[in-house]
Amino acid sequence: MLELSALGIEYGTLVMFAMLLGMLLTGMPLAFVTLFVALFFALGWFGPMAVPLITSRVYSFVSSFVFVSVPMFVLMAAILDRSGIARDLFDAMRLIGGRLRGGVAIQTIFVAVILAAMSGIIGGEIVLLGLIALPQMLRLGYDRNLAIGVVCAGGALGTMVPPSIVLIIYGLTANVSIGDLFTSAFVPGLMLAGFYVAYVLIRSYLNPAIAPIPEEDEGSYRERLKLLKGLILPVMVVIFVLGSIYGGIASVTEASAVGVAGVILSTAIRRELSIELLKGAVLQTLATCGMIVWIGIGASALVGVFNLMGGINFVSALITGISENPTIVLLFMMLILFVLGMFLDWVGIALLTMPIFVPIIVELGYDPVWFGVLFCMNMQVSFLSPPFGPAAFYLKSVAPPEISLGDIFKSLLPFIALQILAVAILIAFPGITGR
Amino acid sequence: MEQKEEVLAVEAVTGEQRKAIAEAGILGRIIDRVGLAFALCFLISMSILILEIFMRYVLNSPTLWAHETTIFLCAIAFIYGGVYCAAHDRHIRVVLIYDMVGPKMRRMLDVIISLVCFFSATFFAYASWLMVARSVWSPDGAIRLERTGSAWNPPYPALLKLFMLAMLLVLAVQFIILAYNYARKPQR
Repeated sequence: MLELSALGIEYGTLVMFAMLLGMLLTGMPLAFVTLFVALFFALGWFGPMAVPLITSRVYSFVSSFVFVSVPMFVLMAAILDRSGIARDLFDAMRLIGGRLRGGVAIQTIFVAVILAAMSGIIGGEIVLLGLIALPQMLRLGYDRNLAIGVVCAGGALGTMVPPSIVLIIYGLTANVSIGDLFTSAFVPGLMLAGFYVAYVLIRSYLNPAIAPIPEEDEGSYRERLKLLKGLILPVMVVIFVLGSIYGGIASVTEASAVGVAGVILSTAIRRELSIELLKGAVLQTLATCGMIVWIGIGASALVGVFNLMGGINFVSALITGISENPTIVLLFMMLILFVLGMFLDWVGIALLTMPIFVPIIVELGYDPVWFGVLFCMNMQVSFLSPPFGPAAFYLKSVAPPEISLGDIFKSLLPFIALQILAVAILIAFPGITGR
Repeated sequence: MEQKEEVLAVEAVTGEQRKAIAEAGILGRIIDRVGLAFALCFLISMSILILEIFMRYVLNSPTLWAHETTIFLCAIAFIYGGVYCAAHDRHIRVVLIYDMVGPKMRRMLDVIISLVCFFSATFFAYASWLMVARSVWSPDGAIRLERTGSAWNPPYPALLKLFMLAMLLVLAVQFIILAYNYARKPQR
């Protein structure tokens, strides 16, 4: 058998990172890369007796009650995306945009926030906004970059405004209350959406040419009132889900089930419920959860082995060793997350780095709940940042063909700047999270 | 109808209603079909959770079995989801280099990736065999399923561990089939 332990932790860590990176770059699925490296080191470093330790970690990862909320929120979003709720919501929100300059862009952001409060993932929302809001803005002669940016950045809010799968996964790895995370993320999420609204308003009042006011007539009161109906069901669902979490009536997991029931009921009331719809939605949930959970399986195995090797202590010492000043250590961690976010999916980042980062954060005297919100905000950037911002790819698939991926990434730059500003504000004023 | 188009677009992007990839072979098609049964576990779990809330608040008699059953149902669906993703080629990967190379090199990468994934799955199947051995048999060799140890005390841990082992074996076979088909096919 190999005697990897002879390498010592310094070279051991180096070999592990090199192996992870090398295998990832070939295009091998992240879940199996981490599994392979974990078992390779378990056998090579400790021998066969360490193997059960890994499998028991994996077992406890898969069978946690809080994790049940993940498929529920995914399912909720999957059903929502297949119903006409988003389109009606968009029509109803026209009343808010009204004759304001940049009105349709602002309307889009409001719709995005409500959709975000109903679902915890991104993807479907961006596609829907790309189909509903983008053509509308382009038709009215809005600046193309502004329109694209609003759709992508707004659609990505799904994981910032509670409920959010990112926060659930963070809560599981960091061992903090998901309810606390949801409570703390609420204001920062709205703050980010507020930044987008402010940006749209400032840009369109400074340069009226980028956001022409529509000439169409507003319709009678009766017609406008009818549009408002589109708002009732979504708002009810949001109140049920977030209300039962914040009100302490049900656990996060139970509230997520209530959300699914609420969305199914809404589609039934709208006469859209069908076997086909449910089938598509549950299959999407199966695939999405399979993806997330298997990355989790691999990551928890890898982190378990690495911890056993003494690697976590080693890396913590490295990170805390860069400065006496906790703020610099924190900024350094943010930088690592930012760089990782350009290439890796958020699930992988959360599960691989948080077991290392969270203990450091606690040791430095910071609040892990606040750090979770900060992490979530940081991951907002990763959805938009090139070269692999998933939001851009989602939009590309439904945008008019003349809009290239390059155009989309260029349009996203100001919004990335706003997100970084939000991260900075969260660091400077932790009080925003209410902690 | 607009509504229909939107649904189709969402499904196209989120990759749903797509069949298993051709290289996954017959096994891939079976995995695809059976997927619906496991996907339904999520709907059943949802109903159980709602029932539990109803029992607790309205009838004032919370159930013993709801929590453990939803965890079990979701856990087997999670594990199956990984096999489903493998047959659909939907696991997350970094395609930085993969997308840059030519078709020949890509095919070679596909073969190598599938083989390494096969090793990972087999390796892990062995690891979970060690776990299954301890949760299904007592030290003296008699069959004794591991239970949760709660008031209801179902044998879910042993069943889940067995299921995990079975799925890892299926996964290993799937990756071998993928490797074989990638290697055999002249061009994609």
